[in-house]
Amino acid sequence: MKKLHDLLMKENSFPLLTAMLGAAVFAGGCMFLNDGFGLFNDASQTAMLLVGKTEGEWTTPVGYAAGFLIARVLEGPLVGILDIGGSMQTGVGTGMVALCQSLGLTWITGNFIVSLVAGAIIGLVIGTVIIGVRKAMPEGMSASGTDIMMGVGNAAGRYLGPLTIMSAISYSIPCGIGAIIGSVIMHKLDKPIIGGAILGAMIIGAFF
Amino acid sequence: MLTILLKSLVIGALAGAAVSAGAARMFHAPEIQAMGAFRTLGELNACKGDPVAHFSFGLGFYFSSAASVVGCGGVTQDVAHRIIPNWAAGLLLLKNKKVEETLYDPAKMLLVGSVVGAVVYSSLTLLASAVPEKLSTIAAGVLTPAANNMVNLVMPILFWLGALDAGKITGIWGTVLGGLTQLIMGNAVPGLVLGIICGKSIEDNGFTKMVKIMIAVIAVLLIVIGQARGFWAKALGVLAGFGL
Repeated sequence: MKKLHDLLMKENSFPLLTAMLGAAVFAGGCMFLNDGFGLFNDASQTAMLLVGKTEGEWTTPVGYAAGFLIARVLEGPLVGILDIGGSMQTGVGTGMVALCQSLGLTWITGNFIVSLVAGAIIGLVIGTVIIGVRKAMPEGMSASGTDIMMGVGNAAGRYLGPLTIMSAISYSIPCGIGAIIGSVIMHKLDKPIIGGAILGAMIIGAFF
Repeated sequence: MLTILLKSLVIGALAGAAVSAGAARMFHAPEIQAMGAFRTLGELNACKGDPVAHFSFGLGFYFSSAASVVGCGGVTQDVAHRIIPNWAAGLLLLKNKKVEETLYDPAKMLLVGSVVGAVVYSSLTLLASAVPEKLSTIAAGVLTPAANNMVNLVMPILFWLGALDAGKITGIWGTVLGGLTQLIMGNAVPGLVLGIICGKSIEDNGFTKMVKIMIAVIAVLLIVIGQARGFWAKALGVLAGFGL
């Protein structure tokens, strides 16, 4: 226990943690592709992978996630806390999975063990880069404009709520009514309406 | 069912161990590099020392995560940001109220976090896998068109307006790169993201070495991707149509 504590209190053990998390989020993303659930992300990023899965178009998740990954990896060493939302859950768990799919590397995403190993390697690289940047701290490494990007990225998620209600309405009348009721309940509870819209559509739609 | 449980236990344990140890390291940042999020740090501090506060804080998010995984298949970012670190901290604090010896200790957080992560993540995936076929068909049927609209319309527009609002230079870089990626890849988002980063960096620091490297990398990417997707051949074909 003492040894583990000492190891984890070392600066250089950071890549081990990113490797573990990388493996988990990457394998979770692959599980979403294969089984339909398990992605370590919110509805809007899940929606991007869903478009890839149904249309075979992976450009958006790759581009979106790459932006977050770059921004967070540059910011992480400066502030001392790597934001795992942008870097790992979106960057690796969503973006890298989409990148593998777009390159046709289904032997990685289709196999659980391989996906764990691939995620661990990606995580290890990210952690090592961050420790490297911290040690070197080169001039002009600050990436400007990341705040704009993050703001827009986070705002985009909100649009999915109304879009889902509209989509439920064109799917069928009962689903539409369910989505409206679900959204109202969620809004009343101060939760994002997207969850209520989907669940409402599912529940009422199940009876018809 | 069994394979899903086994896979989920492994994934959850890995994620739980990593984020919990990362969260404990946040209390020692910036001396050692940590991972998590500033809001996670703030929230852990807000419930500090009180196991009940940690549990109930996580529980609220657990319910919305359960709703999300049933509806769309994503367990939400809150699993790693909020549920796992808070429940791991809460469990440790039940035995020992001293945060210095529990929440701040990455080794203890790692061990407890791996158990919490395995339980939380596999319970969510098992719940999602238990949803009847008919319901998941409805969910996919509702969500897919909404997702298409968001990815193909809303996101490019939001990023585009974000670039335009950020100033002349950023707006121009965003428009050019966004337009190019829309032409070459069929979606403007990657170009707009790069355009915002490039344009804003130029606005703030001028043409630094980093900006030049970035532009070179973008150019190479566009050429390679255009080649892979057959864009250049198509574009030349159009030009040839003019009799050039």
